[in-house]
Amino acid sequence: MTNLNINGKSLQLDVEDEMPLLWVLRDMAGMTGTKFGCGKGLCGACTVHIDGRAVRSCVTPVSFSRGKSITTIEGLAEPGQNHPLQEAWIIEQVPQCGYCQSGQIMAAAAFLKSNPDPSEEEIKDGITNLCRCGTYLRIRAAIRTAAKNIAEQSV
Amino acid sequence: MSSPATLTLSRRGFLAATAGAGGLILGFSLPGFARELQATASADGANFNAFVAIDAQGIVTMQMPFIEMGQGTYTALPMLIAEELDVDLSAVRPVQAGPGADYRIMFNNSIRFTGDSRSVRSSWVPLRTAGAAARSMLISAAAERWGVNAASLRTSEGFVLNPGNGEKLGYGELASLAARLTPPDDVVLKDPSLYKLLGKPLDRTDVIAKTNGSAEYGFDFQMDGLRTAVVKQSPVHRGNVTAYKAEAALKFPGVFSVDEIPHGIAVVGKSYWHAKRALDVLEVEFDQGEMKDFNSGEYASKLLSRVREPGVHAENKGDVDAALEDADLVIEASYELPYLAHVTMEPMCSTALVADNKCTVWTPNQGVDYVVQTAAQITGISPENITVHTPYLGGGFGRRFQTDFVAQAVTLAMKHEGTPIKVLWSREEDMQHDFYRPMLAAHYRAAFDREHNPTAVFITNVGDGPWRQLAPEFMSSPDLDNSVMEGTIHQPYGIANWRADYVYEHSPAPIGFWRSVSNSYNGFCKESFIDEMAHATARDPVEFRRDMLVNDPRHLAILNRAVEMAQWRSSSWQADDRRTHAMGVALHKSFGTIVAQIAEISLDRAGLLQVHKVWCAVDCGFTVNPRIATMQMESAIAFGLSAMLHEEISIKDGATTAGNFDDYPILTAQQMPDIEVAFINGGGVVGGIGEAGTPPIAPAVCNALFALNGQRIRSLPLRKHNLA
Repeated sequence: MTNLNINGKSLQLDVEDEMPLLWVLRDMAGMTGTKFGCGKGLCGACTVHIDGRAVRSCVTPVSFSRGKSITTIEGLAEPGQNHPLQEAWIIEQVPQCGYCQSGQIMAAAAFLKSNPDPSEEEIKDGITNLCRCGTYLRIRAAIRTAAKNIAEQSV
Repeated sequence: MSSPATLTLSRRGFLAATAGAGGLILGFSLPGFARELQATASADGANFNAFVAIDAQGIVTMQMPFIEMGQGTYTALPMLIAEELDVDLSAVRPVQAGPGADYRIMFNNSIRFTGDSRSVRSSWVPLRTAGAAARSMLISAAAERWGVNAASLRTSEGFVLNPGNGEKLGYGELASLAARLTPPDDVVLKDPSLYKLLGKPLDRTDVIAKTNGSAEYGFDFQMDGLRTAVVKQSPVHRGNVTAYKAEAALKFPGVFSVDEIPHGIAVVGKSYWHAKRALDVLEVEFDQGEMKDFNSGEYASKLLSRVREPGVHAENKGDVDAALEDADLVIEASYELPYLAHVTMEPMCSTALVADNKCTVWTPNQGVDYVVQTAAQITGISPENITVHTPYLGGGFGRRFQTDFVAQAVTLAMKHEGTPIKVLWSREEDMQHDFYRPMLAAHYRAAFDREHNPTAVFITNVGDGPWRQLAPEFMSSPDLDNSVMEGTIHQPYGIANWRADYVYEHSPAPIGFWRSVSNSYNGFCKESFIDEMAHATARDPVEFRRDMLVNDPRHLAILNRAVEMAQWRSSSWQADDRRTHAMGVALHKSFGTIVAQIAEISLDRAGLLQVHKVWCAVDCGFTVNPRIATMQMESAIAFGLSAMLHEEISIKDGATTAGNFDDYPILTAQQMPDIEVAFINGGGVVGGIGEAGTPPIAPAVCNALFALNGQRIRSLPLRKHNLA
């Protein structure tokens, strides 16, 4: 049995060590907010946090997250609340098909944590997740908005 | 909600529209209506017609005839209902309608699919009418309750009001009574000056679910007893399995079975990973099939070799031959465009369950009736015993008209009766088993008189189209496939002699509908060539176009709008970043919508092209939701730019070579230009917005490159060219 800490809850799962965290989350824990896009860590649709750092869970063996704290889109904010990024995603009306957006938001959350006051260029270069609908401009705007709102809240 | 009422207002051909004073007056004809009415009775709510049901709390459930794949239908179509029903948009809950005739509201009520930028266009009259009819019935119910004349009553945000005494009743309180009434013989649709919702930049209804992980896609489907199948199809397109050894795969834990599917093999397991791990070691042999000697490079050469052959006329205006003969100047150019993949972020997937002579399918699709047809063919189960559930689509772009992935799920569900089977494709399967945007070779000729005015354009397109391969019923003649020619014919430029010819060359590689279909390549060729014509006669590309648009004020207005927005510069200049910048322009009408785009670009020292900004002016007649329409333009530009910069599917010895984002790169955040969009509501028939933004971007950028360094791009993608 593997003991995992997902979104602050402890979960016992019977999974092989080498099973990618993505499929543990989706197929074993039934948490489908984290998406499959490429299976090679190229597109970022599967982005989650391990100890606050963004990882591409499709190429991360579950054993790597043992004893660490895993955060997924379902647990980014307190239940019933929105993370400032989710709020900004709504304000800027980012999603179209929406499939990549869990990964985009998780990547953006880790980015802002490491760089709370990013420049325009840093925002542009900061996220390497792919979006086939081309929502990149609105993702940029939402990160800008969220950074501003987080800064204002913490004053 | 419980709503046993089945008052189907949407019988085929139920609308006959005539323009009347102050709005559109619609006459209903509803065969069998009264008989069905008797069956309606509900304590807490009712269906008013096939699209609208209202429960006792006043919540409106709307049956959606079209799916949501990112283009905003789940917002725009509820807006149509909400406007005429007179409720807040938040009161309308869109749900995907099942199969059936009530929802075939396209092409004279004969067909239903989501694509061709038709969702708003097809719903524009029927859904507003459905809302208005329900509102009229609610007013009649209130009039009956109060014993007053219906004409004296008003509505506002979900209430019927009596201005005489200030009384009001909520729609929820009136719903069950109202649904028992006879629908009106005709309704008057709102005058546009009274719109509260239509034309407003309202938020999307699906945005919250798409930011917290709760939006459900086909890949996410779960139910008790569900098993996951991962597939390997013949690398050579349309090849078949000849032999396989299942033993090694079956030894893996979490694997239930190994099964043949059409053109491939599936491993069924308890998760994607368990099944995929076994599939990767499975020994399987395929016959090489009829496509084994096919190479896309050789096909490209063949297309190009035929561009001077006579073809079938898609358009033949005036006398092109005479104009070319008499010309003072003739220019010509050939263009080449590659196969392209759709690459939806959510790969193909489908779940099916066959049990008790019934079949249920949970699947992303762009045409629910095609899913029913596929399931019926495979199972022999009659269509009325086939149920289809459509979740949100993780992108469509034309890929999910096809039901090849549905066929796999249904085939496996037949074999494993009683067990729901979810088929999931890897990215590699998705890329290597797509129905590609067709390849094209085109040849353009233009004639000019002594004053260097254009007198003729003669276009020849060589290739194959998705209509002939997938939907031949759309072809007006057996020889003419306009799914290759749209975007070359009936152009606005006032050139007296215009011919567009089609030369058919069969594509052995599977082809399909790809965002903007043939406009994707014809927009590039035509607008690049118009630019070539301008430069051949030393004209500013904007002025040259303006002179040819004197008799088309709408095209001219959109071109002028883009020119104003961009502050057009026909010559390159030294910008603040110390690089040389230049602009290019393109103008293209598709799906009933006119779009002009101007792109500003530069090259870095390594010859890497950067698109800084795109200005985009749009006339779609009436912009139902400018916010969503703006998002669609941004998306369509990104899609076209991605293809222009990077994308090409190569096929070697019958197999697609690319398999993932490392060898089929798509546009990244770093390559996304700033975009500014403006709309002009030119009136008339409403145009589509999902695709019309794609065709102009490639020529706008390539025309800018010509302005920058004199390099003319006649084949894509751009990465094949050395720009240094």
